[in-house]
Amino acid sequence: MSDIGSDGVLAGVKELSPIQKLAMHGLVFLIIFGGWEVGARLGYVNELILPAPTSIAYRLYEMFFVTGSIYWHYIITMYEATMGFIIGVSIGMGLAITAAISPVFRRYWAPYAVVFNVTPGIAVTPFIIAWFGFGWSSKIALAALVCFFPPFINTLTGLLHIDKDATELFRSLGSTKKQFFWKCQIPSALPIIIAGLKLAMTGALIGTIVAQFFSASEGVGILMQRFAFRLNMDGSFAALIVMSLMGLSLFTLMEYMDYKVLYWRRHSRMEEVGSKRKRKWLAENGDFSA
Amino acid sequence: MAEELVIQGSALGKQFGENVIAVEDANFTIPRGSFISLVGPSGCGKSTLLRLISGLIEKSGGDLLVRNAEVVGPRSDIGMMFQKAVLLDWRTSIENVLLPDEIRGTIDTDAKKRAWDHLQLVGLKDFEFSFPRQLSGGMQQRVALARLLQTGADIMLLDEPFGALDEFTRERLNDELLRIVEGPDITTIFVTHNIQEAIYLADQVFVMTPRPGRIAAQIEIDLPTPRNIDMTTTPEFNNYVQQVRDVLAGHLDGQPL
Repeated sequence: MSDIGSDGVLAGVKELSPIQKLAMHGLVFLIIFGGWEVGARLGYVNELILPAPTSIAYRLYEMFFVTGSIYWHYIITMYEATMGFIIGVSIGMGLAITAAISPVFRRYWAPYAVVFNVTPGIAVTPFIIAWFGFGWSSKIALAALVCFFPPFINTLTGLLHIDKDATELFRSLGSTKKQFFWKCQIPSALPIIIAGLKLAMTGALIGTIVAQFFSASEGVGILMQRFAFRLNMDGSFAALIVMSLMGLSLFTLMEYMDYKVLYWRRHSRMEEVGSKRKRKWLAENGDFSA
Repeated sequence: MAEELVIQGSALGKQFGENVIAVEDANFTIPRGSFISLVGPSGCGKSTLLRLISGLIEKSGGDLLVRNAEVVGPRSDIGMMFQKAVLLDWRTSIENVLLPDEIRGTIDTDAKKRAWDHLQLVGLKDFEFSFPRQLSGGMQQRVALARLLQTGADIMLLDEPFGALDEFTRERLNDELLRIVEGPDITTIFVTHNIQEAIYLADQVFVMTPRPGRIAAQIEIDLPTPRNIDMTTTPEFNNYVQQVRDVLAGHLDGQPL
């Protein structure tokens, strides 16, 4: 979202005009993919190891526009990942809020969440399949399991690390705990909570696909594996790209939420929201200065 | 008319844990409408004393009366301001100023009108709908001051409110603060570690010394009001500065830094 080039990180890169920049991007793209394509076509790269970009592109075209076979797998995978995400995030945030409110819970129960986290979630896949079967529910369960921790720990951290002065301010104003929670703790924690949700989103997709690798009859994960087992490498790569597309679309969704919700972290958004509130206030109360 | 005492402390003490004595044997009376500066080096217990009066922390011994009632917790006639503005980043200036009313459930057109007027009073016309991050440090403290006024508290406890600001902004805000709290109604306690500032603002300066935190001297400042910055170069003013320094030097000699 930010333009790294204008900051210090890439200082030293000569500023180009927009057209020159576009040309640069095109050139780099062409070098990578053109080189790859030529290498594959001339037989320097084994098609079984790395198929040519055009073969992969053709596969993708076929999946989406000729047979349409990808859509069902796509929808199923997105459904499983999203459901897993919702469940995992609800449990994670629910536990975090409970732990933030109750010191007893925090001391005696929350440590188990940490033990739970250091156990690699993916390693639990065989149990999950045994408990939830081969259908959708095992994918959802693994997705939920893998993505539960970041929202938990981030929500807890965000809710507990409140500025001491803010706490004193609210106390001196005679605030109830509930008012403090909604008016201070939750909004203060939102940036770190959303950072946790972003991690969870990726986790949910990983969980779903790993569970599909293990055993599934539908989904992009099993599709990819079927291609791979048949040494259909361009199909496998096409499936991989579909996964990236899923990740990208989910990530974009989270970025959009970030942009909408955390308006006070961006100057352009503050101006937008500020003038919106001004209009609303003037409509409701009139201009007191007038 | 006899002076009305709003705050009285006698043998007031605060101990943290086993052996940290933050405030010991504090005896003082504060008349209504006065401006008291608490001055002293870091760790002398001035912030602790302020928090005792605010009801945010409990005393360990002695007596502390506000309007003749023992302090048992935060009260609505006492408002606080901190070194940091402590504004809620997701709220515009006016929404921040309205926070006290929101918490007390007293938000109505009248409250909104007062919030608006308070923002004009602290010089934030046209910044009513700015977010804290769009404001400079000085402007943020102005919002915090407006919020303090909005509480309607007539006892104002200020903990180094302009300490993080540059010299010029601080001097201007000090003058504006004096203008706002002058008169017989508002009682102000102002914590600072700046001797000149303490004297310039106050009717009375409490000099505090550390380990244990004590009020070592209470000095009446008999300078004409309203104050203006030219007074800080007069011999009278410098006499007071010297008095405060002497008190601090007497206690700090031989103490480890």
